[in-house]
Amino acid sequence: MATQVPGDDILLEVKGLKKHFPITGGLMRRVIGQVKAVDGINFYIKKGETLGLVGESGCGKSTTGRTVLRLYDPTAGEIMFNDPNLGKVDLAKVDSATLKKIRPNMQIIFQDPFSSLNPRMTVRNIIGEPLMIQNTLSGQALTDRVAELLDEVGIRPENMTRYPHAFSGGQRQRLGIARALALNPKLIICDEPVSALDVSIQAQVLNLLEDLQKKYDLTYLFIAHDLSVVEHIADRVSVMYVGYMVEMAATDKLYYTPKHPYTEALLASIPKPDPRNRNRPLKLPGDVPSPANPPSGCYFHPRCRYAEDICKTERPPLRDIGGEHWVACHFAEKLQLQGVTKLGEMPLVSLPTRQPPASAPIAPATAAE
Amino acid sequence: MTSTGTTAAPSSTQIVSEDDVLRVQDLRLNFYTPLGVVRALNGVSFNIPRGKVLGVVGESGCGKSQTGMAVMQLTPSVGRYEGGNVLFQEFAGKQPIDILKLEKNGAEMRHIRGNNISMIFQEPMTSLNPCYTIGNQIEEAILLHQTQDKDEAHKRAIDVLQKVGMPNPERISASFPHQLSGGMRQRAMIAMALSCTPTLLIADEPTTALDVTTEAQILDLMRDLQHEIGTSIMFITHNLGVVAQMCDEVAVMYLGRVVERATIDDLFYDPKHPYTILLMRSIPRLGVNHGERLESIKGSVPDPYSRVTGCPFHPRCPSAIPGVCEVIEPVEQFVEGSTSHTVRCHLYT
Repeated sequence: MATQVPGDDILLEVKGLKKHFPITGGLMRRVIGQVKAVDGINFYIKKGETLGLVGESGCGKSTTGRTVLRLYDPTAGEIMFNDPNLGKVDLAKVDSATLKKIRPNMQIIFQDPFSSLNPRMTVRNIIGEPLMIQNTLSGQALTDRVAELLDEVGIRPENMTRYPHAFSGGQRQRLGIARALALNPKLIICDEPVSALDVSIQAQVLNLLEDLQKKYDLTYLFIAHDLSVVEHIADRVSVMYVGYMVEMAATDKLYYTPKHPYTEALLASIPKPDPRNRNRPLKLPGDVPSPANPPSGCYFHPRCRYAEDICKTERPPLRDIGGEHWVACHFAEKLQLQGVTKLGEMPLVSLPTRQPPASAPIAPATAAE
Repeated sequence: MTSTGTTAAPSSTQIVSEDDVLRVQDLRLNFYTPLGVVRALNGVSFNIPRGKVLGVVGESGCGKSQTGMAVMQLTPSVGRYEGGNVLFQEFAGKQPIDILKLEKNGAEMRHIRGNNISMIFQEPMTSLNPCYTIGNQIEEAILLHQTQDKDEAHKRAIDVLQKVGMPNPERISASFPHQLSGGMRQRAMIAMALSCTPTLLIADEPTTALDVTTEAQILDLMRDLQHEIGTSIMFITHNLGVVAQMCDEVAVMYLGRVVERATIDDLFYDPKHPYTILLMRSIPRLGVNHGERLESIKGSVPDPYSRVTGCPFHPRCPSAIPGVCEVIEPVEQFVEGSTSHTVRCHLYT
């Protein structure tokens, strides 16, 4: 069941990762249960690629991102990171001194640009903080590096002395990106980087992330719940459901030939921006089960329209059904599932052309009436 | 100065259907805050034909939510209406009422609010009262507007919970909001809003806080209920996908103005305003632009205290005409050859 893909081009390989949070209760705050936020997932990211991680809220995608960075300590499992200096390291086991040496190579961009920047620190200190902690730069050299980073994300370096409140949501997200870039990382975990932004700003930030990836040969773990955004940016996509990975494949394969019924339902639910193509979504009955009390067997079986008896008792492992298409479903080969339909016909209207002011029929007099 | 009132859309360019539930004309709303005056709405005009779904689209800060609040007279106390009217007609043939002329907390307004016009809010966790059961909260509206009989009210509450697809309405009615999931809470909100079979429903980003699969369920539910009850809906959202799936007509807003109004098909297949066109081009589309660069709109929405002269979109517009767009605010006018498509842009005059 392990996702064994040998080779040096794997930057991060996660095997059997588990993160359980205890539920305490009663007089003595005894542990009375476990929230199995992440419950044995396997995946890998190759150098220079973007792996999209999608799923509904509460499925454990953010916990996965944070556990990979050791912001949470994993309950079990291996996190093999291919560090450029230290070689392959299991992040789940390293001591804190080694971890500090590895940290510059993996960074995170948070979802909410309003709560992830300290309001009492200037932009210079926010972006320079990783450099100070790692003792790489100080004084004028630090200021210069911050200026360079700001320039990189499209914010004027003069703004370095200002505080986060002076910036709009999109600009704050750029500051978050600059901070993540400060130490020249190899891997950046993007935890819903655009979901708090407006549509017009979202496109700017997505383009910026793509440009930076090309320029610095970055590897992204891109966590998002917006499937259209992930389709746009990711090379491969993995789908999570209640702490378990149900499917992982190249973006096109996953979107056009999904092999897991949950992926099918998820894709069918995307509201398509085309009024001539109104979809009646596949009814996915019920709600996402609680990770504290998941169903037996395959976690998706109570909502799955293809479920059979075996699904109630046996949890299917994540297995490769060919061509790096990993699925956790007993019937992956048998089911004929529907992917997204191409929305190619809808024209993208181009902008109207500029009219020279001389021939423009708007004289100031007519509009001022 | 262009924004002193001379730019109101002349009544000749008003799209008016014979039977409108709601007609908003040249609505202006300012907020007087310690930091300065925020011009939230600068002459908003639109209408909602009976039984139709009007989408109100725009980015944060464009005034779409405030427009919805104004229709319910729920504007915060720092807000002052500087002109315009909101005409609500309960059924065809009845004399329209100007909502803004009513006493904010008077008997007439309270009769309309929750009864004839009701609202679904964005965040179901904060808009439900955590101290009362779902049943209590639905019954409150029914007891206030429909019947005095508590047993009858309870029966109706159960009915309406059933209608929104709650699996076990008796149990749900006795539960508190924290015991329900996000999708269930939003269903409860919809049940509450529909409990008095309103003529007009204002849905303010009803699915923004929900996951895609839940969103699809809720949209499906709203569509079914709309067919069944015939309620007209003002659907406020920023998600163009949701608009395409739900609405009959659309008003696109930018900085407190409606910049384009059209039927859903015209808006997506023949958009006119540069802002609408750029919005359409900046959303990632499934299967169309994988790996390509997205087009983006340069800059960002100006801060609310500043005033932009001329066309509010001109600093971000790639097609702006120098010497015209930054000086004169365009008026709303029909697109050539159409009686249902208006645009506020100098490129079409």
